[in-house]
Amino acid sequence: MDGGYNSYGGGGGGGFMSGETSSPSGGRSENRDNKTLRPVTVKQIADATQPYPEAPFLIDNAEVNHVLFVGQVRNISSQSTNITYKIDDGTGEIEVKKWVDSATRDSMDTDEKGPGDGKSEVVLNGYARVFGAIKTFSNKRYVGAHSVRPLSDLNELHAHLLESTAVHLFFTQGPPGGGGSGAGGNAAGGDAVMGGADDYSGAGPNKALMGVSPLARKIYNLLKSEAQDDAGMEMQHIASRLSLPTMDVARAGEELLNAGIIFTTMNEHTWAILEY
Amino acid sequence: MSLQTPRILPSHLNAFHPSSAGQRSTHTIRILGTVSSLRGDTATITCGNNGDVTLILKPDSHLQMGKMIEVVGKVADLEGGQGLGVRVLGTTDWGNPADSDYRTYEQVVEATHRFKSIFYDGE
Repeated sequence: MDGGYNSYGGGGGGGFMSGETSSPSGGRSENRDNKTLRPVTVKQIADATQPYPEAPFLIDNAEVNHVLFVGQVRNISSQSTNITYKIDDGTGEIEVKKWVDSATRDSMDTDEKGPGDGKSEVVLNGYARVFGAIKTFSNKRYVGAHSVRPLSDLNELHAHLLESTAVHLFFTQGPPGGGGSGAGGNAAGGDAVMGGADDYSGAGPNKALMGVSPLARKIYNLLKSEAQDDAGMEMQHIASRLSLPTMDVARAGEELLNAGIIFTTMNEHTWAILEY
Repeated sequence: MSLQTPRILPSHLNAFHPSSAGQRSTHTIRILGTVSSLRGDTATITCGNNGDVTLILKPDSHLQMGKMIEVVGKVADLEGGQGLGVRVLGTTDWGNPADSDYRTYEQVVEATHRFKSIFYDGE
């Protein structure tokens, strides 16, 4: 009995694993980006590029898998297997398909309010918030939606547009950092790293640095600029140099460790920059 | 290309007027304001601290005084040389103006035109 369950579970795991490994094999191995959920405008979806068929879509040269956007519902057409919406956010129009899963609908009926509430709340010419993945079907681009829900707060709409802009600027002009100088400093650091290492990892550390918090970048810059021996710097010392609470430094250090930007030396609280 | 309706403020009306915009492909815009007067086939919205805009209504437009509305429309000349207005194509009622922050909208307009590549195809 036990063995039966185990082998069943193992089989399921195996299937999942093979699916996981086959998807990044389509291109670059940066599958950390494959898990992203990015706020976008409809125009960005329309402008997204695909280096080759079946490749992940690129917006501002960054891979996108899931996107999040808001817009006005211009058309709703219900079929037996899916509901197709036409969404217009003022920057363009795109079709959104939400598959009707009879299993989930049944559970929603019992767990939540009334039958079919999920679809009746989104009204024609009302605003909706969509979360899904960019897909193509016979050269037509659409969004396969995980969720389409009504949006009733104007501030949410505006916040989304600003958020999309911020993320766009992040990918095109780099992280905000402490004003222009911070961003410039990072770029310079990245160049030095790139100059030191050849094509092995390219802008690896610098690119990874884009994903971390400003505090983590601060620690990175301190480790980089401060004279030190091979053992690097101790967490307490970093905290006192930056006059920051040790807790915050520990958390940001954890972030850098997880991103593979720094490594631990003497003990787990002494860090040095990982350079190739 | 699908229809694009950039969000604007009253000060942008001129730039989106059919005569001044050169080869701009769209004169259809979105604008946000509070309904401040209703006169049959025209109405006025107040756009925060950015002035008023006259709307040329459709027969089936149903606006209510004091509501925050989002207008999709075309920039047009008003009758009798009264400057520029917006010919309404559609409106969305966002309810009480106190529920939304007009300054956020101003920021959105600023972002729309400053980083237009993600919002509309400009000239």
